[in-house]
Amino acid sequence: MVAHLVRLKLSLLRNSLRRSVPQLVGMVLAALYALGVVGLVASGLVALRFSPDVGLARSVVTVLGSAVTLGWFVVPVLLSGVDQTLDPVRFATFAVPRRQLLAGMLAAALVGIPGVVVSILALTTTVTWSRSPQAVAVALVAAVVGVLTCVTLSRVSTSGLSALGQSRRGRETASAAGGLLFVAAGLGSGWIGEQASRPDLMGSLASLLGWTPLGLAWAAPADVATGSLGTGLLRLALAVLVLVLLLALWDVLLRRALENPRSVSARTRGRDVGAGWFARLPGTPTGAVAARELTYWRRDARYVVAIGMIPLLPLVLLVPAAGGSETWLLGMAPVVGYLLGWGMHNDLAYDGTAFWLHVGTGVPGRADRLGRLAPTAVLGAVLVPGYAVLSSALSGRWSMLPADLGAGVALLLSGFGVASVVSALKPYPVPAAGESPFSAPPGAMGVTLAVQVVAGLAVTLLSAPVLALWLVALGGAAWAGWVALVLALVLGTACVLVGVRSGAAIYDRRAPDLLSDLARIR
Amino acid sequence: MRTGDGQAALTVRGLTKRFGRTLAVDALDLQVPRGSFYGLVGPNGAGKTTTLSMATGLLRPDAGTVEVLGHDVWADTVRAKQLVGVLPDGLKLFDRLSGTELVTYAGLLRGMERPVVAARTAELLDALGLADAGSMLVVDYSAGMTKKVALACALVHAPRLLVLDEPFEAVDPVSASTIRQILSGYVRSGGTVILSSHVMDLVQRLCDHVAIVAAGRVRATGTVDEVRAGASLEERFVDLVGGGTDVGEGLAWLRTSSD
Repeated sequence: MVAHLVRLKLSLLRNSLRRSVPQLVGMVLAALYALGVVGLVASGLVALRFSPDVGLARSVVTVLGSAVTLGWFVVPVLLSGVDQTLDPVRFATFAVPRRQLLAGMLAAALVGIPGVVVSILALTTTVTWSRSPQAVAVALVAAVVGVLTCVTLSRVSTSGLSALGQSRRGRETASAAGGLLFVAAGLGSGWIGEQASRPDLMGSLASLLGWTPLGLAWAAPADVATGSLGTGLLRLALAVLVLVLLLALWDVLLRRALENPRSVSARTRGRDVGAGWFARLPGTPTGAVAARELTYWRRDARYVVAIGMIPLLPLVLLVPAAGGSETWLLGMAPVVGYLLGWGMHNDLAYDGTAFWLHVGTGVPGRADRLGRLAPTAVLGAVLVPGYAVLSSALSGRWSMLPADLGAGVALLLSGFGVASVVSALKPYPVPAAGESPFSAPPGAMGVTLAVQVVAGLAVTLLSAPVLALWLVALGGAAWAGWVALVLALVLGTACVLVGVRSGAAIYDRRAPDLLSDLARIR
Repeated sequence: MRTGDGQAALTVRGLTKRFGRTLAVDALDLQVPRGSFYGLVGPNGAGKTTTLSMATGLLRPDAGTVEVLGHDVWADTVRAKQLVGVLPDGLKLFDRLSGTELVTYAGLLRGMERPVVAARTAELLDALGLADAGSMLVVDYSAGMTKKVALACALVHAPRLLVLDEPFEAVDPVSASTIRQILSGYVRSGGTVILSSHVMDLVQRLCDHVAIVAAGRVRATGTVDEVRAGASLEERFVDLVGGGTDVGEGLAWLRTSSD
């Protein structure tokens, strides 16, 4: 059974490569990248062997090991359904003894780039700890336990996700929450990177993690290397216990999945909200489209992630600003304006074939275009001025406020104009409703990239005069800021008017063809 | 102002659609008399869905014309679409909306007044047995409930012509009977229904007119009694379309009577 599943995984890997050249190129690039990372980290691990400071080696190995272990747990949540091969439900109709299935799926999970990378790195730690024979022996056992813990964790999080979240809502909430966590981690990483240069902090982090299930195995050899054999063996024993418990947990989840393979959707009956937003926004086609869009912001994981992420992204600029370059702060309002405006350029594709309702009911193009923009426009009306004021306050450059506001408004509105036209011309594939917001539909990289670049260039070109004035204002000419603001309002309004009008005309002409496009790219 | 045949609810002339090398619909002609309950039957891949999609303005035909009560669907689009209610097959719904929200959405998109939409939505969900599921998201509906809520979307603006693609597929017998009653009542009060189905028996019982379609062309059309000509509709259908394979003595190993 073990051999069968490993062979199955290998053939699936081979067949997926056979599917298309771009996929093959992607796979090769990923492999090269992984190889580079492995080489870099492995040589670092080897170098630690010769560092006179054993404490440094302990900190690095423990923190790194814990982070990798956590990654194996979290990533499957983010990319739900990434590895369908190992979906235990698919084996439900075959009478495979569970213990064999368990072993086979563990082995198969190791096949693939992540499994190989972790195995190599874990084994390299035996070099790091080759300070005494006992340390090497413990490091070897710990490496095996650590890698198995990683793999088991990924299985537990996959099975757990499908077991706990049998309901669609549970899965999607987990996925969206994971996505937001990911962004938060990105924001936090700047801070952590800064702190990492302080060895004392790394040291205390390592001693903390060393007693958590994440770091037990990785910290054990360090104890032995520094002479505390007893502590090291205790940690190792605890690590084995954690692994056994995880295996037992996975066994339970697996049994539940096999015995109840049909994903029974829990009847999520929310409180009776009547017609929701449809009862609150104007009772016109435009108002209805806006209400539908708003409702989806809350209920569709793909929107939840985008709407959750975009307002937070400008905060990334705090990282370079904290490093002393305060000019970065002034990019906040333009960044959020650009992301909100430009981000609408493929909104139609998120409807999928449900778009037939718009075609079948003969919604006027104007109503479709304006309705889609309305909720984002309200969000922009809050975020752009908000960030403009925030960046002025943080940087102390209040003279830049009009220019900043102008740049944000210009990018937002020209984005709306461009999006109104582009989304009626060329929708490109997006994850279907219910799929992970992070999964990319295969084979669409080319058209996706082309449309995104063209839309981005168009937005930049249309707001170029305002952006130029923003630069002039940055140079110290206060008048330029006011001119930028006025020009942004005039130019932006013109962009929206022209964009919506021509977008609506294209929509009215092409609505059925758009539906055919959406059906094809699905 | 009426330009087409005053008696027809739906007139299709020379409708053609090609997908790549496959000719899905081949110069198809169809007349659906006003006030009729019209069944469109055919084997898989006969072009039923393609025909109905083109007839309702969801798919652009390569050639041919479609008129709904005298209005050209592809020229006088807005007026024609106001007169038609559509239930497509194989297309998704905005399923993150609750049942109430979805039907309300369909009504508002058609430019109806909100109080009218609210009243009709409640009545429709009630009549279709979905009153309890009004606040549930459509994505969590069963297949039958999904069909019923889609039917509610098609009915909310009181259309003159209903175009239903496989309305009974995956619908349980109780729901099917509800749908049948609603449709029969609709036809009695002067509406016109055209539906496609695989189930000959159902078409024979429910419809007064029928067209048998195969390979993108109409093979037989008329009242149900004319078409079946004494035999059952199913027998006529198999005759016209070319019968299934005679299994004969094949698959002998499947007949295990040993235990």
